[in-house]
Amino acid sequence: MKVGVDRRRCVGQGMCVLYAPQAFVLSDEDGCAEPRFEDVPTDQEDAVRRAFDACPEQAIVVIG
Amino acid sequence: MNTQFGSKANPIAFDHESPEHADNWVAEFRDMREKCPVGWTEHHGGFWVATSYAAVVDMARDTGSFSSHKSFDPQTGTGSGGITIPFTPIPRGLPVESDPPEWNALRGFINRRFAPKAVEAFRDDARLYATALLNRVIETGEMDLVNDFTGPVPAMVTMKMMGLPLSEWREFADPLHAMVFTPKEAPEYASVVAGVEWIFRRCAEEFVRYKDQPEEDNLLSFFAHQQVDGRKLSLDEVLSLANNIIIGGVDTTTALTTHALAYLADHPEAKARLMADPSLIPFAREEFLRFFTPIHCLARNVTQDTAINGQDLEQGDRVMLAWAAANRDPEIFEKPDEVQFDRSSNRHLAFGSGIHRCIGSSFARMMFEEMIAQMFARIPEWEVDRAASQRYRSVGTINGWESMPIHFAPGSRVACSLEI
Repeated sequence: MKVGVDRRRCVGQGMCVLYAPQAFVLSDEDGCAEPRFEDVPTDQEDAVRRAFDACPEQAIVVIG
Repeated sequence: MNTQFGSKANPIAFDHESPEHADNWVAEFRDMREKCPVGWTEHHGGFWVATSYAAVVDMARDTGSFSSHKSFDPQTGTGSGGITIPFTPIPRGLPVESDPPEWNALRGFINRRFAPKAVEAFRDDARLYATALLNRVIETGEMDLVNDFTGPVPAMVTMKMMGLPLSEWREFADPLHAMVFTPKEAPEYASVVAGVEWIFRRCAEEFVRYKDQPEEDNLLSFFAHQQVDGRKLSLDEVLSLANNIIIGGVDTTTALTTHALAYLADHPEAKARLMADPSLIPFAREEFLRFFTPIHCLARNVTQDTAINGQDLEQGDRVMLAWAAANRDPEIFEKPDEVQFDRSSNRHLAFGSGIHRCIGSSFARMMFEEMIAQMFARIPEWEVDRAASQRYRSVGTINGWESMPIHFAPGSRVACSLEI
């Protein structure tokens, strides 16, 4: 599984760090999300899927 | 001519400011969402109201077609646009009542001060204020939750952030709260307005004073010393920024926390669960944000003719995005009218959507956590005097409480570096 954040859509809602704190970090500059990795470790897949579902901006991109 | 239900020719009866809506908003929004998720009402000069999650999100994201810009002439007290219906005859809030590209410069200028890292630096302050405020009342066994606790904590954190003297917390907290619920025709309205004007006058005075001093770590000093697009901010711009930060940040977090503490008093099993497992508190917080949605709805201005849900929106029309309705949409949320802390995902719109996402969301989340933690630690049992509690007579702007007396077993003061 691969994960990314579409910076054109992300506005810093912050739901991803609630559901997947090990997978995302919010920027100190504008509060927008950045993934901590591109290849999702197996034990993070569920959390990343929940973050994907919880993003009101549909800014999280998941492949696989 | 479009004559379908909810069109201009066949309008709905809806007034977000009415007492009927305040009493019955969940059912009213459900009905609107089912019959016409975008509909026209003749109240307040006429406006569209969007109640489905999909319609609300589409409009919030499309800042090209749905503008937040407000114009206001202080000479005549008239203007147009902005995010409130009816129009509020005061200078606009910034950056929330602007559009790109103006928005980009202003929001970019202050974003860093509201990012999670910056907010964490205020956590100890929030804890200190919450501790000191409970010290004031804990020995008596009673307090007004709103006026003694959930109101002052966000007000004091905001004062600290702005660089205003904390000793003025009562003068700061009370008018900001009263402004939301005092009817314009009430005899005390003039003194409430005077109180709010005093707050912004204090902001202006402190801003001017900070100009003559080395930069300090607060927003008014930051505004006095830093530049946007290579120029200094004007006093009007500073007051518009202060307006957005203060009005947006204070009574909203108060409403959220008051609703949550009332809910937990009525649902001891839910409270016991959070006390036993504090890692659930952030998930409960998001569910309270969804369920109570303190900022009930906000407006936009239609900039070009647009068809949505079969309705014809025309350039110049006003449109209301009902966040509270979207947050109860069964298309998105299973059993939307139940509070469930363990939703598998919770994509609520309590902080809005699109570029105007609430800039203070990290502050709201942090202050909520600190107030809940302080209550759990020191007043683990409380009873709400529902008969004496007063919900806002209109929930159309903020869905909150004027006052909420609570009773509890008297406790002891704790050591605290702040005496208030």
